[in-house]
Amino acid sequence: MASLPHPRAARRRTSSDDWVARGLILVVASYLVVTLIFPLFTMVTRSVEVFRFDLDLITVQFQTEAGWQAERSVQDWIEATGHEVNAGVRVSERSREQILRIIPRAEFQGVDLVRVHDRSDGRGLVMVAGQFIGGGNSWEGTPADLRRVQIRPVGEFGLANYTHYFATPTLRQSIVNSFAIALGTTGIVVPLAFAYAFALTRSCIPFKSAFRTIALVPILVPSLLPAIGLVYLFGRQGILTPLLMGESIYGPIGIVMASVFFVFPHAVLILTTALTLADQRLYEAAKVLNASPWRTFWTVTLPAARYGLISAAFVTFTLVITDFGVPKVIGGNVNVLALDIYKQVVGQQNFQLGAVVSMVLLLPAVVAFTVDRIATRRQVAMLNARTVPLVPRAHKIRDRTLLVVCSLMAIFILGILAMCQFAALFQFWPYDLSFSLRNYDFDRMDGGGWAAYWNSIRMATYTAVIGTAAIFLGAYLVEKAPRLGLSRDFMQFMAMLPMAVPGMVLGLSYIFFFNDPTNPLNTIYGTMAILVVSTITHFYTVAHLTAVTALKQMDKEFEAVSESLKQPFWRTLRRVTIPVCLPSILDIAIYMFVNAMTTVSAVVFLYSTHTALASVAILNMDDAGDIAPAAAMGMMIFYTNIAARLLHMATSRAVRSSQAWRQR
Amino acid sequence: MDAVAAELAEPYLVIDQVTKRFGPFVALDRVSLAVRDGEFVCFLGPSGCGKTTLLRAIAGLELQSEGAIRQKGQDISLLPPSARDFGIVFQSYALFPNLTVADNVGYGLVGRGLRRGAIQARIDELLRLVGLPDQGPKYPAQLSGGQQQRVALARALATSPGLLLLDEPLSALDAKVRQRLRLEMKDLQRRLGVTTIMVTHDQDEALTMADRIVVMNEGVIEQIGTPEEVYTRPATAFVADFIGEMNFLDGALTDAAAVRVGNLTLALPAPVASGPEVTIGIRPEDVRIDDAHGIEAQVHHVEFLGAHVRVSLDHEAFGPRGLVADLAQNLYRARGGVAVGERLRLGLPPERLLVYGRS
Ligand SMILES: Nc1ncnc2c1ncn2[C@@H]1O[C@H](COP(=O)(O)OP(=O)(O)OP(=O)(O)O)[C@@H](O)[C@H]1O
Ligand SMILES: [Mg+2]
Repeated sequence: MASLPHPRAARRRTSSDDWVARGLILVVASYLVVTLIFPLFTMVTRSVEVFRFDLDLITVQFQTEAGWQAERSVQDWIEATGHEVNAGVRVSERSREQILRIIPRAEFQGVDLVRVHDRSDGRGLVMVAGQFIGGGNSWEGTPADLRRVQIRPVGEFGLANYTHYFATPTLRQSIVNSFAIALGTTGIVVPLAFAYAFALTRSCIPFKSAFRTIALVPILVPSLLPAIGLVYLFGRQGILTPLLMGESIYGPIGIVMASVFFVFPHAVLILTTALTLADQRLYEAAKVLNASPWRTFWTVTLPAARYGLISAAFVTFTLVITDFGVPKVIGGNVNVLALDIYKQVVGQQNFQLGAVVSMVLLLPAVVAFTVDRIATRRQVAMLNARTVPLVPRAHKIRDRTLLVVCSLMAIFILGILAMCQFAALFQFWPYDLSFSLRNYDFDRMDGGGWAAYWNSIRMATYTAVIGTAAIFLGAYLVEKAPRLGLSRDFMQFMAMLPMAVPGMVLGLSYIFFFNDPTNPLNTIYGTMAILVVSTITHFYTVAHLTAVTALKQMDKEFEAVSESLKQPFWRTLRRVTIPVCLPSILDIAIYMFVNAMTTVSAVVFLYSTHTALASVAILNMDDAGDIAPAAAMGMMIFYTNIAARLLHMATSRAVRSSQAWRQR
Repeated sequence: MDAVAAELAEPYLVIDQVTKRFGPFVALDRVSLAVRDGEFVCFLGPSGCGKTTLLRAIAGLELQSEGAIRQKGQDISLLPPSARDFGIVFQSYALFPNLTVADNVGYGLVGRGLRRGAIQARIDELLRLVGLPDQGPKYPAQLSGGQQQRVALARALATSPGLLLLDEPLSALDAKVRQRLRLEMKDLQRRLGVTTIMVTHDQDEALTMADRIVVMNEGVIEQIGTPEEVYTRPATAFVADFIGEMNFLDGALTDAAAVRVGNLTLALPAPVASGPEVTIGIRPEDVRIDDAHGIEAQVHHVEFLGAHVRVSLDHEAFGPRGLVADLAQNLYRARGGVAVGERLRLGLPPERLLVYGRS
């Protein structure tokens, strides 16, 4: 009886309110489809696009005094001359072959006119001065004019890019390098962050709030900056270079050290949350059972924090394996996956291979993301269980050890930043230690100058304002709007996806999707808009989850009450939901701002000369050997983010005190 | 003419064969019910029996899988909540924390073409009505639970809805406040004459407040009746068990007017048509003690309950559960108490016996 299928499910009549809500969720969901699914899909197709020169289809005919000679295909010529197609390099979309390079100069003796016939279909393969002559047409000109004639490769679909990738040892090596470095960093960061978080939550060390703040500082700078700091500290003229005992900082050591710096705050945040969940009663039970502190740690503390540890490990792994700033600056000749994408695209213009590397990088990122989500969900389930909070007790040896660990870590973090600041302020570290602002004269360097800095601020502001509004609206609809049916589930799924996509992959997929002249959205390519869009999408998930958490804390019947009172949902959204969630909305805004200031990976593919960004300028200045100005720019981002955080704190405080109902 | 008469005759709210499924789970199974204009109806039942689901279906917050709902003769089954005529109070009250009490109460008055002054006057009137005349400028968090409940009630009544829906409106309050508010709410409802449906799992609440009680269990209605009816003539063994205290004895019909329980034969008030296997029910207060022709049973336990004394009695026919009898305090005193181990003669008056078929 109970499992009988519905004979005919009733369908509700739809109110105008429902239409508005549906329209809005459609807008937000379409945004994610257009800025995430479509680009990724384009990238997947490009990764299976294979190019080759089909030179049988092009024929050449010479006119001499004796009239037109016999036609010969270009392929014929190649076989006759032994010319190496595309100079032996793998053919990509942008490769071009020239007839002049194939047919030896001597053959043009006595030739008055050359006729090139394109026997392919459609747009054709032959271009003259950048214009297609069209399939089936021919071109005539003097041998000198032949300079302007280029042959395009034809594209087909196949797995050749992948077989090429995996058959190339240097490329394959990057997979090994990436995993080794990411695993190594995870192995160092997780225990370190655990000790640090343990000290903050479970011990009686002094200066806890200072340590807490210091641990979060690395979030405020791009990952390029610790690498630059390490170059100064441990590079050829570094003050600490002897500590490396002959090893070079350029390579795995440098990458791991800089990675430890920039992922540390993320791991500490996750583990502090996990360790805050301790249940006093378990510890009392352990005490009653006479368990040693060491045994208690292994049997109570660690198991209780297990989901936090899993989550921290996978987040660390993902952040490191997808980061390209650190290996770019300090990698030496060690290649990693993220860097390969950059090199294939920016260096060799081989977009297809870039897409293949992206797919290879996407795989571990998606796996790590999935594991992290599951762990986080379990963790949240534990959070809701009723526990008695733990009050830490003093323990001399333990507290002293932890104080040493925390202090060393704090010195490491602050030391790197201080080094960058010194390097930026001296004439020429370490040779000329006189004070100078020369390194702040960004306009004299390549990379975009001060304009890049102001662009960054504009970009971060737009991202914070537009992104927060859109993401909060999306989260509101998912959580609160009634009667959305399947579109709610779809939107919920879409909102989680961006976190699984590495920045480099997102950026490259944007090139494919938005730089396509047949795409009407092509107009935003090279503008500020595409930088804002990519950044919003890149950081969508965490912001969405913050909004969802805030919304879940509100009474779930507000919308029902408002409907029963015949009020449109947007009135309740404006009058109640937004004011109540304002502190969380501000949190989302500062998160978006800070990340927009520091991000490099997606935007590095998308900026144009007049939309260069501060973080990209660091990269370019470092590339050009202007390391001190790069450090100076990095510190500018740092101070800007500090200012933004202070502004955020002040605003939050003002909001709390202006909202009388928050006071009891 | 006839159509108009029929319409006038139709009850205010009609729920017709409403079924609600959540996936394979049936939360409401062909529920039918009619509520008269101005009536106070309580949905009563154990947790998870579907009370809230039915209330939300009436409000349009949950769409029934099958069946129809008519209000004032109009089919509202498929209307969204905003197109239905009702006010609602939730268990959590769902007061907007950032709005003052006055703004909460006046929330539904905006957008109805009312002047500012008229809105303010209406808010004042409502706050007076619920006994909170001076609390307008405060925020909900500054009020006690009982006051918050009354603000939620005022907000639901502000737009003068024809139907008031209350989902466990008193369950978040402590016992004293709850008892006082029961009376206040019932009084208010009677004065306003608003048709009201209240969900509760507290039988005392239902018995004191409702004109009629709808007893629900596992998605079906077990009985609809006045408090007196459901108490004195529970239609099913479930209702008999759920409301008040009840002794159950297993027996078998010997003929239509007598039943055999162990070695006892009990007379029945009226002939019963049912299988031979039956369950006999009798309320503890209906068990007569010191009945000259009664059954002899031994006192096993005596419990002092304030207004009366509960005596547990053993007899081989009563089975392991025994039988409890409630003795009014004055009777108890008059007979000089009851001692454990004492043998009493019990009367089970036929007119008080309830008979339920057993399958
Ligand atoms: N959205 C839903 N999805 C699935 N099952 C649901 C949903 N809402 C209610 N149920 C189930 O339907 C049944 C009836 O729920 P309902 O909330 O109506 O119970 P109730 O009688 O109000 O109980 P309580 O006294 O605990 O409030 C329960 O078993 C519940 O688990
Ligand atoms: Mg309920």
